[in-house]
Amino acid sequence: MILSSLPSRIDRDLYPALMSPEMCAKYPADQKAFVRIDTSLRVYWHTLFDICPELLEISGPDGLSIFRPFMAWAEERKLAFDWFYYLWVYAWLRQSPFKEQLLADQKYLRSIMGASAARWAILDRGRARGIAIGCADTTDFVIGWKCRSVRFGRQVELIEPEEPLPPPPEVFGYFTLPSFELDIFPGWQGVTR
Amino acid sequence: MRLGFNFTLGSTYDMVKRLIAEGHIDYCEYLVDNFFCVDPDELAKAFDCPIGLHVMYSRFLEADRPTLVDFAARLRDCIDATNAIYVSDHILRFTHEGRAFFHLGEVDYSGEYEFVRDKVLEWQEIVGHRIHFENYPSIMDGGLDAPAFFERLTKETGAGVLFDASNAVCANLNCGTPFEAWRNVIAAAHHFHVAGYRNSIVEPFIALDTHANSLSPETLAFLRDFRSVFDKPGATMTYERDQEIEFEDIVADLKLLRNLFGESQERRHDLVVSA
Ligand SMILES: [Fe+2]
Ligand SMILES: [Fe+2]
Repeated sequence: MILSSLPSRIDRDLYPALMSPEMCAKYPADQKAFVRIDTSLRVYWHTLFDICPELLEISGPDGLSIFRPFMAWAEERKLAFDWFYYLWVYAWLRQSPFKEQLLADQKYLRSIMGASAARWAILDRGRARGIAIGCADTTDFVIGWKCRSVRFGRQVELIEPEEPLPPPPEVFGYFTLPSFELDIFPGWQGVTR
Repeated sequence: MRLGFNFTLGSTYDMVKRLIAEGHIDYCEYLVDNFFCVDPDELAKAFDCPIGLHVMYSRFLEADRPTLVDFAARLRDCIDATNAIYVSDHILRFTHEGRAFFHLGEVDYSGEYEFVRDKVLEWQEIVGHRIHFENYPSIMDGGLDAPAFFERLTKETGAGVLFDASNAVCANLNCGTPFEAWRNVIAAAHHFHVAGYRNSIVEPFIALDTHANSLSPETLAFLRDFRSVFDKPGATMTYERDQEIEFEDIVADLKLLRNLFGESQERRHDLVVSA
């Protein structure tokens, strides 16, 4: 249903819609508010599929069979969408009709974990230098390092340990590294909403 | 007018060095919190030019005080090590009800004025330094209230404005904020940004601040019309480019800016001294 009376004078009026494909559809498409919301939603889309293009093999080229139901699911659960964004996409896929395809090839999981580690390395402003992300579906884990020199950007490494770490208690777990060394395993922390 | 370039990523290191060596820019602006794990002395020595600092993710409107105190301690180390010519930040919304925006939100300039003012006062006190806050590339009509908001904010907090000229062009195209309304803000400002923008994918088109294109004719006309309001002793203008980074395109835009403002007085002075 299109509602022309939705408040849409200032940006703040649109905040609740900026991450909701469902609410976006309620704004008249010939108005600026719709374009503003659409632009915001495209950033979520590109943040997912530009970084993990493999997922388009599962969803089809427009990605919408993943994007729309995932965003609705995330909204119901009020997910924060910090660097866990990608991990929640995996969690959703794992309970979706795409589950079999997802689990048939580890490349999807590797891409998701790498994207999440990179996002942490770009956005986190705490004192930790690195993050390790593990998953119950693999013994491999991924490390993201923040930028350590003006000459280099952030770095993401896939670690295939000879002696695997214990699996995280939930689907994903992580721990942060106080220096630019992988020299501790303090145990897995769970992903929070 | 001193011209600068924004340094956000390690991958443009060699290009920025070349821009400095060839005299296209006079200073460099770090997106400083991207480099909080880099030794501040390395930041100070990385480029042979003055340094400006631009903060992206302080989230000072939303973060709690201990988080801000820790952020400020690291910012302070960078300010001191680089002897920064200015420190700048953004007045932005990063979340709504705890959920992150990926395309950041504009504040409500009328309804939230007191809240923002108090946060600005607190943030400057924590950092222990004057901060210049950047104007948003407004899309919605709240952007009409932005010039008066910044005028009042600077009066009541002692903060400065980092005036982004192309963001004002986006606001002009999107919600009609007149350039004239910014005159006092520009006159009082010493630090500026300028960049390319592009239209939204869908219509009715809105102008989006993408830092991926060359300067638009509208931006250049705005700079020309207000040239004497922008230019003043100590003034800086950072050319921002984060995507589609092509050396020749960037140099072409920097040459347009040089022609428009003339060779920087400070720069000439430096050259005379070093000669
Ligand atoms: Fe900025
Ligand atoms: Fe800017």
